[in-house]
Amino acid sequence: MTLSDAARRPAVSSVPRPRDEGAALGFRLTLPAQILVLFIAVFPLLMQLYLSLTDWAPLTGTAWPRAWEYWNAGANYVDLLSDRRLWDALARTGLIILICVPVQFLLGLGLALLFVDDFPGKRLAYSILIMPMMVVPAVAGYMFFMLFQSGGPINGLLGSLIGRDLAIAWLSDPVLALVAVMLADIWQWTPLMFLILLAGLVGVPADQMKAAALLGASPWQRFVTIVLPRMRPIIAIALAIRVIEIFKIFDTLYIMTGGGPGSATETISVYIYEVTTQDLVWGYVAAIGLAILIVLSVIAAFAVRRLGESRA
Amino acid sequence: MSAIRLENLVKRYGSFTALRTMDLLIEDGEFMALLGPSGCGKSTTMNMIAGMERPSEGRILFGDRDMTGVPMGRRGVGFVFQNFAIFTHMTVRQNLSYGLRMAKLPQAETERRTLAIAEFLRLTPFLDRRADGLSVNILQRVAIGRSAVMEPAIFLLDEPLSNVDAAFRAVMRAELKQLQRQFRQTMVYVTHDQLEAMTMADRIAVMDHGVLQQVGRPIEVYNDPVNIFVATFIGAPGMNLLKGRPVQTDRGLAVDLGPLGISPPLGSAQACALRAASGEVIYGFRPEQASLAPPGEGIPGSVTFEERIGARSIVHLGEGSTAFRAVFEKDVPLAMGDVAHVLPHPDAVRLFDASTGRVLKG
Repeated sequence: MTLSDAARRPAVSSVPRPRDEGAALGFRLTLPAQILVLFIAVFPLLMQLYLSLTDWAPLTGTAWPRAWEYWNAGANYVDLLSDRRLWDALARTGLIILICVPVQFLLGLGLALLFVDDFPGKRLAYSILIMPMMVVPAVAGYMFFMLFQSGGPINGLLGSLIGRDLAIAWLSDPVLALVAVMLADIWQWTPLMFLILLAGLVGVPADQMKAAALLGASPWQRFVTIVLPRMRPIIAIALAIRVIEIFKIFDTLYIMTGGGPGSATETISVYIYEVTTQDLVWGYVAAIGLAILIVLSVIAAFAVRRLGESRA
Repeated sequence: MSAIRLENLVKRYGSFTALRTMDLLIEDGEFMALLGPSGCGKSTTMNMIAGMERPSEGRILFGDRDMTGVPMGRRGVGFVFQNFAIFTHMTVRQNLSYGLRMAKLPQAETERRTLAIAEFLRLTPFLDRRADGLSVNILQRVAIGRSAVMEPAIFLLDEPLSNVDAAFRAVMRAELKQLQRQFRQTMVYVTHDQLEAMTMADRIAVMDHGVLQQVGRPIEVYNDPVNIFVATFIGAPGMNLLKGRPVQTDRGLAVDLGPLGISPPLGSAQACALRAASGEVIYGFRPEQASLAPPGEGIPGSVTFEERIGARSIVHLGEGSTAFRAVFEKDVPLAMGDVAHVLPHPDAVRLFDASTGRVLKG
């Protein structure tokens, strides 16, 4: 009998197999955390699903657990399909995503490429660049609200460039208000894109870049053949984060325009907020919320799968 | 045409000088090994030839074209990295054809040359495998093939065999030599392994502390080292070096080795060299160029340790400053503690100036 046999034998005969024991212990140790997750994530989700199938509202005077009294068997979801204001808000949100995400991506990538090599003052420039991200969105909202006033600094700056006084009413013009809101988002969130992409760029092996250069690849060829393929997962994640975040765009925008003028800047979050606080039809709100959650989950799942693909 | 000429090359990093005034001519089609311990400046030299680093001073010429300011992508040199720098997200085929594709060669030619180099390096079975799943031995060949396919006139290899196993290293040494014979490139090969340098190179440039010590054919560097660094660095084990003073004996000029007694009388060439010496000298001989002698002849030493490698044995004798070694190709009747008398072959003795470390010539 070898030493290892002797060591193994008593364990097999007298106590449960270590794997089972480990699993049971693991379950016990993670139980508090699991309960916590249950309450923060699963319970609200189930509650939302439940309410979304009713006409319940706080003004009915009934406590929410008895919302089944207002059961409407999915009528909310049918309403949702023909809710013109909702679809407009969705389209508007989509437009902001389609413009802001590519702009933020290209700006962020360009800046990140500048920061791969050293240059004097790099640390200072880096700190300044990522600062917008750290401004509280509400504060950023007030800041841009002031900047875009018709007598504000942005008109002043543009006016001095073209040499005459300007009084563009940015925030009360339907198109310009949307532009202003998008500029604010680009200002605040390009740094995040920059930061993520820079992390990806730094991770591209320097040796491979040198090898490609020695084999005669131009900077653009190196970017396309070495950098981009290696950054694919990071790019997917950066884009997914920004798409999801803009989908939920609210605070800065609401302070700047309140969704107006009219409903010119009413995004999906603004619409939900209005319906929740003014119409008070919470069963319907729950249905919208759940539908959006599903859309966002699909986007996130797509990004995660891209990450998995490139690892394989 | 593709000779490499280094003129007064200097490389400084801040206050640290990695390379001081290097002058070297590497002939067209020559296989030159840059040999030296870590940090001797050999890789720095190589990187400057490739254009990955700019010299602080001096010039680099390929043929008579000054390449000093030419960026690395336009020098047309092949370069094999120590860690291979394979494009791990590509297949072997994509790796091999990379340079050709970047140069936008016609597809048929790209295909033909890729297949030819894959055949030459026995990579054909792996062409469609992704590079990140392959063994080091295969990656090594991909790294060489990726540069060789460009048919560069100058081929630089930075310790290409240091990451592969010993058996494969022997195979690659032969293949690299064959590759060079076939394509007739000028090859510069950086290594700290003298066996690689000795077996492959036409000439060896031995470097230490950023200074070029000696350039010559392998046998020249081995037989006639210019200083004690080259004498000890080349050879396995290196040359025995014993301190002594010139002394006149009745059998001719010799070296008084202090506690080891008087050396055997010197041959005429070394005697002539010794006359030029002033003060202390270093008496050197190669461990493998010596034989056992009866007591009274040769240099005495008690056996402290014996390494046996098959029929060959390395015997360590003496201790401290009087330690030396002898290598025998056949069994020798020695045991630990025995006193052996080792007689260097008269032609194999080399003398060095003890203060400068330089070889003494008659």
